Amino acid sequence: MKKECVAMLLAGGQGSRLKALTSKVAKPAVPFGGKYRIIDFPLSNCINSGIDTVGVLTQYKPMELNAYLGNGQAWDLDRSDGGVHVLPPYLGEGEKGSWYKGTANAIYQNLDFIEQYNPDYVVILSGDHIYKQDYSIMLKHHKEVNAACTISVREVPWEEAPRFGILNVRDDDMIYEFEEKPKNPKSNLASMGIYIFTWEKLRQYLIDDENDPNSSNDFGKNIIPTMLNAGEVMTVFRFNGYWKDVGTIDSLWDANMDLLDANSGMDLYAGDWPILARSAVRPPQFIGPEAKLTHSLATSGCEVWGEVDNSVLFHSVTVEEGAQVRYSILMPNAVVKKGAVVEYAIIAENTVVGEGAHVGQEPAPGSAEKGIAVVAQDLVVGAGAVVGACAMITENIKGVEA
Amino acid sequence: MNNLHGIIFAYGETPELRELTQPRNSCSIPFGGRFRLIDFALSSLVNAGVTDIGLIVHSSYQSLLDHVGAGKDWDLARKRGGLRILPPFSYALKNNVHSRYRGRMDALAGVYSYLRDIRQDYVILADGDMVANLPVEDAFEQHLRSGADMTCFSVPSTIAASTNTNYLQTDKDGWVTDILVRPNTVPENCAVSLGAYIMSKELLIKLVNHCTAHNLYSFSEGVLLGDAGKGLKLGCYAFSGYAASIKSVNNYFVRSMELLDPKVRASLFRSDRPIRTKDQSNPATLYGEGSEAVNCLISDGCIIEGTVENSILSRGVHVQKGACVKNCILMQSTVIKEGANLQYVITDKNVVIEPGRMLMGHANYPIAVEKNAVV
Repeated sequence: MKKECVAMLLAGGQGSRLKALTSKVAKPAVPFGGKYRIIDFPLSNCINSGIDTVGVLTQYKPMELNAYLGNGQAWDLDRSDGGVHVLPPYLGEGEKGSWYKGTANAIYQNLDFIEQYNPDYVVILSGDHIYKQDYSIMLKHHKEVNAACTISVREVPWEEAPRFGILNVRDDDMIYEFEEKPKNPKSNLASMGIYIFTWEKLRQYLIDDENDPNSSNDFGKNIIPTMLNAGEVMTVFRFNGYWKDVGTIDSLWDANMDLLDANSGMDLYAGDWPILARSAVRPPQFIGPEAKLTHSLATSGCEVWGEVDNSVLFHSVTVEEGAQVRYSILMPNAVVKKGAVVEYAIIAENTVVGEGAHVGQEPAPGSAEKGIAVVAQDLVVGAGAVVGACAMITENIKGVEA
Repeated sequence: MNNLHGIIFAYGETPELRELTQPRNSCSIPFGGRFRLIDFALSSLVNAGVTDIGLIVHSSYQSLLDHVGAGKDWDLARKRGGLRILPPFSYALKNNVHSRYRGRMDALAGVYSYLRDIRQDYVILADGDMVANLPVEDAFEQHLRSGADMTCFSVPSTIAASTNTNYLQTDKDGWVTDILVRPNTVPENCAVSLGAYIMSKELLIKLVNHCTAHNLYSFSEGVLLGDAGKGLKLGCYAFSGYAASIKSVNNYFVRSMELLDPKVRASLFRSDRPIRTKDQSNPATLYGEGSEAVNCLISDGCIIEGTVENSILSRGVHVQKGACVKNCILMQSTVIKEGANLQYVITDKNVVIEPGRMLMGHANYPIAVEKNAVV
């Protein structure tokens, strides 16, 4: 059946800057905010915006992501017409087909998927941002100016502009130039990596791009500049809400901590734009008689007997008696044993911090670096072991005899 | 395990639950924070591999329907079988629509055509308002192995003694030798019946036919004490885990508070037999700066800015700054505004306690505030 707008979510990236956290899962499947995985944000935005057909392009370590998405039921995307579809790279007849060479190639390889819905527009999303956005308002803007392409942007502080893909626009917000990480930015409008294309136009550019042997088949590097050169109508959509790229350990930690701050701009408790997720079936969290738990997030199945402050606890985390957790993120099923200390750290799923062990370190006063220590999933930090600031632990650590 | 069919009695109304059952059937009373009573029976059956479950309802079941939906949170939304809600379809024609089922045999007779179409050879009957994580698979194996005509679930009287229940006396091999229906005093050396029974479909149909023909409507009187049950080999499955049957507000309060004991939680919330419930995608619970939470069971989606002690909170509860909540059960979306002080209070869904209000119940008489009330 025809769909006005179809979303394509690029979820194949490894997220190598998240290091130990993506040793077993793709970046969009990284847990976030106590209840979620990163991909819940774009998926929830889709369903809340009235988009019920989403292709999720996977490539790197897709097992956990596939299992998490399932049939899309958690996001009301289990549809007989449309719904969520996982799209891995595939081999066609002869030797045709390959891994996704770039973001544009990933969409190109799934032309058939998009064509079956005969859409007027396609939204291109990525799986590494935390934000709430109504794509239908952006689409309305796209239609009003009769654009071939609309790019969602936000104003960043001028001094930070050189770190972003910057869009230079005329007075009427029409784009005349795209600069990737410019040394001397002419504008402070940073691309959020969210695009709406008129499908008829994009389709042709994708086919042309694929036939160009010199192209790296990437939206930012190839498709957008080519369309600009061809004189297509391209506009920006200004977004003012909370938006965070969680592509690095520090930004992921920051974004989690933002949830503890009532003034961060990210309110998960307002019911008008729910972020949906697949939740674990666990009893409510238990806070023990001697526990101290303040300024933190905690979720189902947690058992807190020790002290926790300024931290985010995912489901089924256990903090035993006498253990202390500060400024840290404990992912599902993490265990902090008696007397252990975890500070300025991220402990990934199922990892156990042994009795009396010490993970992470408080940064020196005035230091700009937080020095977050990370322990990857399914590991054991032995009793009494010490893991310093900035550590990136990917193997079990032996205990230290007392 | 697919040869066992589940029938859950979910028509129960317990007037002793006062304010708590005003808007709903006793099976949909919230319990343990995020759960409803029906979750325990449904999950026990699903965890044993039961794929087809009939839920017998009669009246005020809107909130129950709202909770179970098509059964997808229990993996019961199926093309073949799955969850079937059974309102009094044939019963309503023969009888006054407004009259309640007089007993379980009456209820079974009310859904007789459904019973005939059951595709499994065995049936388990259970109450929808009982709190227990029953090892149904184990009990079914015992039933088949023992050659019993009917197997009754029981717990030691130390776990759930009450006079408003049935007791089973057994011999040394575990066969039921006597049944005491709601005795005046708690008998010695007897196990408490949990009101759950496994039998063959064939026997169930026979019993229903007999009771209908003799105008017997109660399972206890009609089957257990009556002619229909005579000569049946009654087995007893002795369960030793946690079990609670909620009969009054006081009882509700006491049984709820037992969940603060880690041993009780370990018996009820096992990772090998999870209790499933409706998923609402709530965010994590936020503990604000300066908040205090001690000895509490708290569901997701709450915002705790004040003090909470020895309490159980359902989803989406907001305890504002300076508010103090001790020994309370706060149901979904309760708001306790600044400086309010509550002790021994049960608030139903969407209750709002205005700033500075003070509500004090007592351990043996907790105050219950009805749904949507503003204090």
